[in-house]
Amino acid sequence: MKFGSMLKDISQALVQQPATEQYPSVRRPVPERLRGRLVWNPATCTGCGLCATDCPAKAIELLVLDKKAKRFVMTYHIDRCTFCAQCVQSCRQGCLNMAANHWELAAFDRDDFLLRWQSAPESG
Amino acid sequence: MQTDTQRERFTIPIGPQHPALKEPGHFRFSVDGEIVTGATVRLGYAHRGLEKLAEKQNWVQNIYLFERVCGICSHTHATAYCLGVERLAGVIAPPRAQAIRTLVCELERIHSHLLWLGVSAHEAGFDTLFMYSWRDRETVMDLLEALTGNRVNYSVNVLGGVKVDVTEEIAQAIYKGLDFLEERTHHYLQVVSSDASFLQRARGVGVMTRQQAEVMGVVGPTARASGVTRDIRIEAPYAAYADFPPQVIVDERGDLEARFVVRLKELLESYRLVREILARLPEGELTVRMPRRIKSGETVSRVEAPRGELFYFLKSNGTDTPVRVHARTPTICNMTSVVRLAVGHQLADVPLILAGIDPCFSCNDR
Repeated sequence: MKFGSMLKDISQALVQQPATEQYPSVRRPVPERLRGRLVWNPATCTGCGLCATDCPAKAIELLVLDKKAKRFVMTYHIDRCTFCAQCVQSCRQGCLNMAANHWELAAFDRDDFLLRWQSAPESG
Repeated sequence: MQTDTQRERFTIPIGPQHPALKEPGHFRFSVDGEIVTGATVRLGYAHRGLEKLAEKQNWVQNIYLFERVCGICSHTHATAYCLGVERLAGVIAPPRAQAIRTLVCELERIHSHLLWLGVSAHEAGFDTLFMYSWRDRETVMDLLEALTGNRVNYSVNVLGGVKVDVTEEIAQAIYKGLDFLEERTHHYLQVVSSDASFLQRARGVGVMTRQQAEVMGVVGPTARASGVTRDIRIEAPYAAYADFPPQVIVDERGDLEARFVVRLKELLESYRLVREILARLPEGELTVRMPRRIKSGETVSRVEAPRGELFYFLKSNGTDTPVRVHARTPTICNMTSVVRLAVGHQLADVPLILAGIDPCFSCNDR
């Protein structure tokens, strides 16, 4: 038995840099796979709605105006999203992705958490 | 002044909000001076009705619901659920997916045990160990974030496989992180078995004999610290544990020191297992096709969470939503031991005895 078995760690800490990070003045690089907010590419979307069906938090609403003309309105509630990426997995067309660079999502206004995208059909 | 009075006995209520733990639980200790003479526990303050909610959601949505039963062993819950649903559907996930599930299970065990080491050291008044173990825990959290995309709710599992693959770059990062953690764990093992002031709090305190552990149905590292050789990873191997068997860490002493030693040695065993999985990761697909409607029937699924045996019961009626999902978590099995072991100890030892089982109230209450 001995006293102060971590004395070496404590004395070393005097010359070490702090382990905490200096956010927000210093931002560490984001891992490639980090799940940030959702990005929708309407070009390949077929309007099947599986993303909305499988979403555990009901964060996605897909309004199909005209399936043939590919006119969809996608509403994404960032404040409901749990960032599980099941929608990305469920989408067979690969038109959903979770952007690694969009991770600072705090906002003062609740309206900022609502994203609405509209597909741009080729004609009309 | 009366000298020959019968000593008064007090009952001390602690909780639901209490200084020792960050989670709610109510305890009543009857004390004679400083010595605890009786204890009762009341749980359920963190009940969120998840099992009922599961009956309203489809099988896919429920993966993420059960992942959120616990903030520490989230992957273990999702794995237990997914393995159960796959068994009901008669689908087996590909070997690479099973190995990646096992890999994340072990990385999660590392993060859970390091977290527990910090919390318990804090309860023992050893805050230096708490700060250092939590600093080191960031290493494995960063590895999990790089591998899966999130620090806590990894969302690795899908029905029929996993979402993420292990690249060579990530494997190298894991090897490097584990080398650092292994060195630190050896150091902590030496600290908890030699530091004089720490041993005064842990050695010979809260002793649970093997017989007591078996009678109370204690599970996980708490049981293994009392000499009970019980581990679901070996008794009923799931995922890829049949190909990568762990070694059971057992200690016969049954006191708090043994619980520290067992969990730290389990960390070393997890490092070995992670390295072995990375070295022999099977090739192949990550997912197989799953039906959206699950065949009617019922099944049980057992996995070894960082705290002990986790048990899931699933029942389907052939639709895309479950009829019943029930989870029994290791904390409820271990909680009886706290109430029993606290008797005869000083009141000041109780927080450490409670922390010794690694309680998780949000798991327990669901």
